[in-house]
Amino acid sequence: MTTLITQTIAKVVVPLCVFLSISLLLTGHDQPGGGFIGGVMFATAISLLYISFGLDDSKKFFNPDWSLYFGFGLLLATAAGIGSIIAGYNLLRTDYTYLQLPLFGEVELSSAIVFDIGVYLVVIGGLLFIFKKMGED
Amino acid sequence: MNLPVAVVLAIFLPFFFAILVPYLERIVKHNIGWFSALIGLISFLLLVLISPEIIRGEVIHYSVSWIPSVGVDFGIYVDGLSLLIAFLASGIGFLIMAYSTEYMSHREDLARYYQYILLFMGSMIGMVFASNTIQLFIFWELTSITSFLLIGFWRNKPQSVYGAKKSLILTAGFGGLALLTGILLLRAITGTFDIPTILADESLKVLIKEHDLFLGTLFLIFIGAAAKSAQGPFYIWLPNAMEAPTPVSAFLHSATMVKAGLYLIGRVHPIFSGTEAWLIMVAGTGLVTMVVAGFLALRQTDIKGLLAYSTISQLAYIMAMYGYTTYQDPSLGVVAATYHLLNHATFKATLFLIVGIVAHEAATRDIKKLGGLRKEMPITFVIATIGALSMAGVPPLNGFLSKEMFYEASVDIGASLGQPYNLLIPMIAVIAGVLTFAYSIKIIDGIFLGKRNDEHLPKKVHDPSIIMLGPAAILAFIVVLFGIFPSIPMSFIIEPAVSGIILEDISIYASLWHGFTVELLMTVVTFGLGIIIYKKYDAIANWQDEFNKKHPTFSLNYYYDEIFGNATENAKKISLKFQVGPIRAYLFPIVLIAILSVLFPIIILSVELTPITFNFETPPYELIVFILIITTAVMAAIIPSYLPAVIAVSALGFLIGIVFIFLLAPDLAITQILAETLTTIIFVLVISKVPQTFKEKIPRNILYRDILISLTVASTVFLIMLYATQGIIEPFESVSHYFLEKSILLTGGHNIVNVILVDFRSLDTLGEIVVIFLAALGVYNLLHSRGERK
Repeated sequence: MTTLITQTIAKVVVPLCVFLSISLLLTGHDQPGGGFIGGVMFATAISLLYISFGLDDSKKFFNPDWSLYFGFGLLLATAAGIGSIIAGYNLLRTDYTYLQLPLFGEVELSSAIVFDIGVYLVVIGGLLFIFKKMGED
Repeated sequence: MNLPVAVVLAIFLPFFFAILVPYLERIVKHNIGWFSALIGLISFLLLVLISPEIIRGEVIHYSVSWIPSVGVDFGIYVDGLSLLIAFLASGIGFLIMAYSTEYMSHREDLARYYQYILLFMGSMIGMVFASNTIQLFIFWELTSITSFLLIGFWRNKPQSVYGAKKSLILTAGFGGLALLTGILLLRAITGTFDIPTILADESLKVLIKEHDLFLGTLFLIFIGAAAKSAQGPFYIWLPNAMEAPTPVSAFLHSATMVKAGLYLIGRVHPIFSGTEAWLIMVAGTGLVTMVVAGFLALRQTDIKGLLAYSTISQLAYIMAMYGYTTYQDPSLGVVAATYHLLNHATFKATLFLIVGIVAHEAATRDIKKLGGLRKEMPITFVIATIGALSMAGVPPLNGFLSKEMFYEASVDIGASLGQPYNLLIPMIAVIAGVLTFAYSIKIIDGIFLGKRNDEHLPKKVHDPSIIMLGPAAILAFIVVLFGIFPSIPMSFIIEPAVSGIILEDISIYASLWHGFTVELLMTVVTFGLGIIIYKKYDAIANWQDEFNKKHPTFSLNYYYDEIFGNATENAKKISLKFQVGPIRAYLFPIVLIAILSVLFPIIILSVELTPITFNFETPPYELIVFILIITTAVMAAIIPSYLPAVIAVSALGFLIGIVFIFLLAPDLAITQILAETLTTIIFVLVISKVPQTFKEKIPRNILYRDILISLTVASTVFLIMLYATQGIIEPFESVSHYFLEKSILLTGGHNIVNVILVDFRSLDTLGEIVVIFLAALGVYNLLHSRGERK
C-alpha cells in the first residue's frame, strides 16, 4: 500500500492525529478523551505511517523501541499510585487545583494526569510493540 | 539500657550484621567468622542484661501498632521460656561460629555461611520473643528458610540439595502452612493475634477449650510444631538435614531450630493443655516417636545419622513430657520437659561438635571405620564421654537428672490414667531409655575404644586446636555443672521458664541424690537392659538392614520420594487433562457455564411474566444502522474467504461505534472506532500471510454443535438485552448517579468516563495496563519462540 496517494495523505494526517491524540490526553479529564483513547489514536496514526511507507523504510527515519514506552508508562502509573501513599493518602488517590494561566484563563490541573500519561504510554507502547513485531514477522 | 530496646537490638543486630557480612568479608577475609561470633556474643550479653528482670518473675511486654486494620502488632514478649530458647540460640550460636572459624576451610564461601547463620540466629530470637502470632509465624518461616539454605550450603552435592528441599517441604510447607491455618483459627475463636492477651485471659482459654474449632486448631498448630521438631511422621527430614556442615547441624538441628516446635508447644501449653486431645496428640506422638527413632538410631553407621535419630528420640521425650499434663499436677511434666530441653541442647551440641572434630581430624564419620582413638585424642575423648554419658542418663551429669524426672513424670501420668497405662507408659519410657543408653555407649565405644582401625584411619590423628575444643569443652563443663549443682539451672533458668508456661510462680527443688525412689529403680533397670541390648547391637542393626531390604516399601521415605520425586511428572499428567490445546476446547465449557447460569433464570422469569408487552419504537436512522449490523454479522459468518470476512467484522465494529454515538457516549464511540481500525489493520497483516480461503473442512457434527452453541448464546444475550431495555427486569439502581454527583466535587473532572478510569476505578485501570503489558510480552514470546522452533 506504499502508494503516493497514501503517503501524501499520511504526511498530512499523521501529524494531525498525533496532535489530536495529545489534545485528547490533556483535555480528557473534562472533555471526551483521556489516556487510553489518546494512546489508541497515537498508535493508529503511527501504524498508518508504518503501512503507507513500509515498515523497513520508515524504520530508517523513525525507529523507537516501543517496549521502553510501555515499561516506562507502567512505571509512571505505579509511581503515581505510590506517590499518593507517600503523600499520606490511599493508593492512587488524586487531588486537583485550579491554575490561572495567561491566554487560557482558569485551568484545572489534576494529579490524575500523571497516571493518565502512564496509561497513554502503556497503550502506545503495547499496541505498537505488538504491531511492529507482527509486521516484522 | 531500656530493656525493650535491648531485646529489639538482640533480634535485629544479627539481621543488620548479616547484610554487612559480604562487604566486611572483603576487608577481613577469613576472619569474618570472629566478627560474626562477636555479634552472637553481643546478642547473648544483651539477653543477660535483661535476665535479672525475668528471673525476678517479671515479663517484658512492649508493642507498637503494625497493621492496625487487622489487629496485628509488632511486639516483644519476654518471659522465662522465650528467654531460655533465646539464650540457647545466641549462646550456642556464638560457640558455633567461633568453632566454625577453624572447622570451615578458608576456601569455602564464608561470607554466605556466616550470613545464613546470623540470619538464622536473628530469626530464632525474633521468633521466641514475638508477642503476636502473625509475627511468630513470619520468624518461624524465616528459621525454616535459613535452615534450608544452610542444609543446602554445599550446593553441588545432590544429597545436600535433596535434604534441603525435604526440610523445606516438610517444615516450611507442611508444618508452616498448618501452623498459619491454626493461627487463623485461633484468631477466629478469640478475635486476637496477641499472645499475652490470650495467655492472661482465663475466660478466653475456657472459650477456646469449649469451642467447636478447638480440635482443629490444636491439631493444626500441633502439626506445625511436630514438623519443626521432627516428630511423628515428619521425622524423616532431620536425618537428611545432616548434609549440612557439622557446626550447622549442632546449632540448628540439635540445639535450636528443632526446639522451635517444642517452644511452640510450651507457648500454647496454657491454652490447650488439660484436655484429652492434648494428651493423646502431644504425649502420644512423643511416646511413639521416642521408641521408633531410638530403635532406628541403632542401625546408623554414620555418627551424624545416629545423632540425628537420637535427637528425634530426645525431642520426643520433651514432647511427651509437655503432653503429660491432663489430670494431675501439670508442673511435674513441664519442669521435666523444660529441664530436658536445656540439658539436651548442651549435651547434644557437645556431641555434634565432637563429631565435627573427629570427622575433621580422622576424615571419616563412619563408625565402622573409626575406633581406638582415645590415646591420640585424649581431650576429645573425655569431652565426648561426658556428652554421651549425659545422654545415656548416667549420674552425676545433667542428663541423669532430667531422665529421672522423665521417669517420675511417666509413672505419675500412668498412675493418674489407671489401667493399663500405669504400666504401659513407664514401660515405654524405660524402653526409650534403654535404646538411648545403647546408642550413647556406641558413640564412645565406636570412636574411641577398642582396636585402632588402621586400615581406614590416617596415620596420625591428634586433638584439634583450642578453637575447636574450646566450645565443646565449655558445653561439657555446663553438662557437669548442671548435673552436680542442679539448683543453679533450676532457680535461674528453669523456674522462670516453667512459670512462663504454667503462668504461676513455682519453686522447684532438685538435687543429685533424691533417695531410693521408683525412678531410681527404673534407671538401674535401664542400665542393666541397656548393657544387654548393647551386646546385641550389631545383630539388631543387621536385622534392620535385612528387613529394609526385604520390605523397601515399609518406609516413610519411600512414600516421600514417590510423591515428591515424581511431582513434576504427576503434575504434567494432571495438567495435560486440562490443557488440551485447541482454543475451541476451552471456549466450550466457558460459554456453556456462562450461558446455563443465565438461561435458566431467564426462562423461569419469562414463564412468570407472560404475557409481556413490548415496545419497539425506533427512529428510522437507527433502524438502518441495526439492519446494517445484522447484515454484516451474517456476512462475516458465511463468507468463505478471509479478507472479506474480516472486512465484514470490522464494518460491524464501526457500526457499533455509530450506535454509541446514538447513545450519546462519545468516549466509547471514539475508542470503539479507533480500536476497530487497529484490529482491522493487524488482522489484515496476519491474513496476508495465510491462504485466502478456508481450507479446513469442518466435520458436520462439529459444525452443527457450534451452530447450536452460537444460537444459544445469541438468543440468551438477546433475551437479556430485550428484557433489560424493555424494563421487564427490574433495573438495578444506576451507579452513575454517584459518579455524576461526586466527580467534580472530588476530582475536579467533568468527563466521568475518564474520571472513573483514572480516579474512582484507577486500580482497575492499573490492572488493565498491566494486562496490556503482559499481552505485549506474550506476543513477543510467541513470535520469538516460533522463530526458534524453525
